[in-house]
Amino acid sequence: MSAQADSLAEYREKLINNRLGLWLFIISDAFVFGGLFIARFNLLGDSRPELNQTLGLVVTSILLLSSFFMNRAEIAIGAGDVKTFLRNTLVTMILGTIFLLGVVAVEWQIAPFGPADGVHGAIFYTMTGFHAFHVFTGIIFLWVVWRNGKKGLYTAERHWAVEACAVYWHFVDVVWVFFYPALYLIGSLVIG
Amino acid sequence: MDETKPKPDYSWNLLAFYALILFTIGEFILGISATSNIAALMILFGLGKAYFIVTRYMNIGRLFSDEEEHA
Repeated sequence: MSAQADSLAEYREKLINNRLGLWLFIISDAFVFGGLFIARFNLLGDSRPELNQTLGLVVTSILLLSSFFMNRAEIAIGAGDVKTFLRNTLVTMILGTIFLLGVVAVEWQIAPFGPADGVHGAIFYTMTGFHAFHVFTGIIFLWVVWRNGKKGLYTAERHWAVEACAVYWHFVDVVWVFFYPALYLIGSLVIG
Repeated sequence: MDETKPKPDYSWNLLAFYALILFTIGEFILGISATSNIAALMILFGLGKAYFIVTRYMNIGRLFSDEEEHA
């Protein structure tokens, strides 16, 4: 019992450093996205690429909804409710996949320009491509956490991997919160 | 196990989601109907949404907390 208490105390001590490390990574990654965001305004100014605005709203809503379920998953495991945690993580994964397909398999296909068709194409595909890669890695991270959760590796006291996965997933959401208006809503439409 | 399980508190989970949806709808309506440059306003909308995600979903407060626990 004493060894178990010592181990838990050690785990909690490590948690502070783990959080600091994760946030340092998040901030450094945010600089890359920030650079892309500034590049959009520098290169496109008051114009925007020809995109389907309704599709943009739909995929944005799906990503926000996925963050809602991810937060529920984290709250549930914090209360030791593994079943609710697993269910919500699975829903987050599904919604993340729908978002990814909405951007890569739909928006990229219907956009009337390619990555090499001028500055609008270059900035659009770079921003959405870089973001989509983060979503893809987030889905893999979610799958790993879900699988470990099924094996019973997380408890109310010990679930750092779930917390890290949730913070990463919400970060991907924060990035899209700025990318969505920058690409779909701000500026006058440029055809072609 | 002598520890009692904490009760899950989903109140902010739902409130933050409502705020995010409201911001997104407002942003969309403004974006499709605007005739002048609305970049600054859109960035303000984005900051509003980011505030809710970073404070309520990412729980940035935990980083500055002395509590060495998840909750």
